[in-house]
Amino acid sequence: MEMDPTRETLSAFIDGELPPKEMERIAALLAARPDLDAWVRQQESLRAGIKTAFSGLAAAPPPERLVRIAQTAPFSWRWRLRQAWQGTMLRTWIPAGATLALGLLIGIGLVPPGDIASKGGQVVAQGALASALNSKLASDAGSGPRIGITFRDRAGRYCRSFDADGQNGFACHGNKGWEIAMLAARPDTEAAGPYRMAGSEMPDVMRAAIAARIQGEPFDMKAEKSARDQGWQ
Amino acid sequence: MVQLLPRLRRFAAGLTGSVTDGDDLVQDTVERALKNLHQWEPGTRLDSWMFRIAKNRFLDIRRSQKRSGVVAVEVPEDAPAIVSDGARGAEAHMMLSGAAQALDGLPPEQREALLLVAVEGLSYRDAADILEIPMGTLTSRIARARGALALWAPEG
Repeated sequence: MEMDPTRETLSAFIDGELPPKEMERIAALLAARPDLDAWVRQQESLRAGIKTAFSGLAAAPPPERLVRIAQTAPFSWRWRLRQAWQGTMLRTWIPAGATLALGLLIGIGLVPPGDIASKGGQVVAQGALASALNSKLASDAGSGPRIGITFRDRAGRYCRSFDADGQNGFACHGNKGWEIAMLAARPDTEAAGPYRMAGSEMPDVMRAAIAARIQGEPFDMKAEKSARDQGWQ
Repeated sequence: MVQLLPRLRRFAAGLTGSVTDGDDLVQDTVERALKNLHQWEPGTRLDSWMFRIAKNRFLDIRRSQKRSGVVAVEVPEDAPAIVSDGARGAEAHMMLSGAAQALDGLPPEQREALLLVAVEGLSYRDAADILEIPMGTLTSRIARARGALALWAPEG
């Protein structure tokens, strides 16, 4: 005579969590044992009852206050960027990479020296780059540095990505001006030709850095223009 | 994250035994998640991560304010599936109270295990992962929860 299945086994049976052979064995056993079968049936209807009890809540629109908070999550933007993420490896080397990139790029002359300067311990945009960051919109064509996306970082500062002579970078507006947060050489400078930097054309390393800082969504044209017209304050 | 709200509310209401307390827990959970967003690994399940935060917050709050008496069970006014039609609606209404009251009588560790499996429909593995316990522990918590609920359950 076989021992009765434990309550654990019956419970796992109800949830379909036993190995296939075990599921069959218990099903066969229940057919022969009305007492066990009754317990299982009661539990199944209980499981269904609990689920039903909460279904109305899950179907109801969540309160506005919760939606408002959840909407501040930068996920939709993050998710779009995620394709480009290389996992944790990438993120761990960003801080070091960002600093290194700046030194190296200036060192080998990729950045026009007039466009970036160190000011009070902060690397800031100058010259053509600073004026593009101040006044250009992403939709503006023409020569000189181009603007990509505009967004707010978690500290609430305005940040803008740019493309200047083959490097991508982004800068955030602080009290020393446009502080360079990152510079990255674009791997396909030759191949790119004239183009306006869009999200899909950013180097992965920069997407990741922006994703780590962005608050909310990148600005649309209207928000971008209005922030500019108010002097990035 | 907005898409997860309905499931989080359901889970939180089940944990706290009240829609209002549940929503407070959800708010707390979302705020915490936003603050610790850097800890979430892109590519892993966001829902599991947030359920885990909700569970931990619930235990924290519970520890800090030992509850006294029975928490009232509320039915949200804006819950269409519950109040939609006559007989069915009334039945579902009773079930919320009944099920929620019954769950409220369970120790929290059994309640959260049962909620994840029976209401959220998660596998034992996923539920154990959220609760940060071995599968065997989860299996036995659910079985014990069922044993306790059987005393409450109506016939049929």
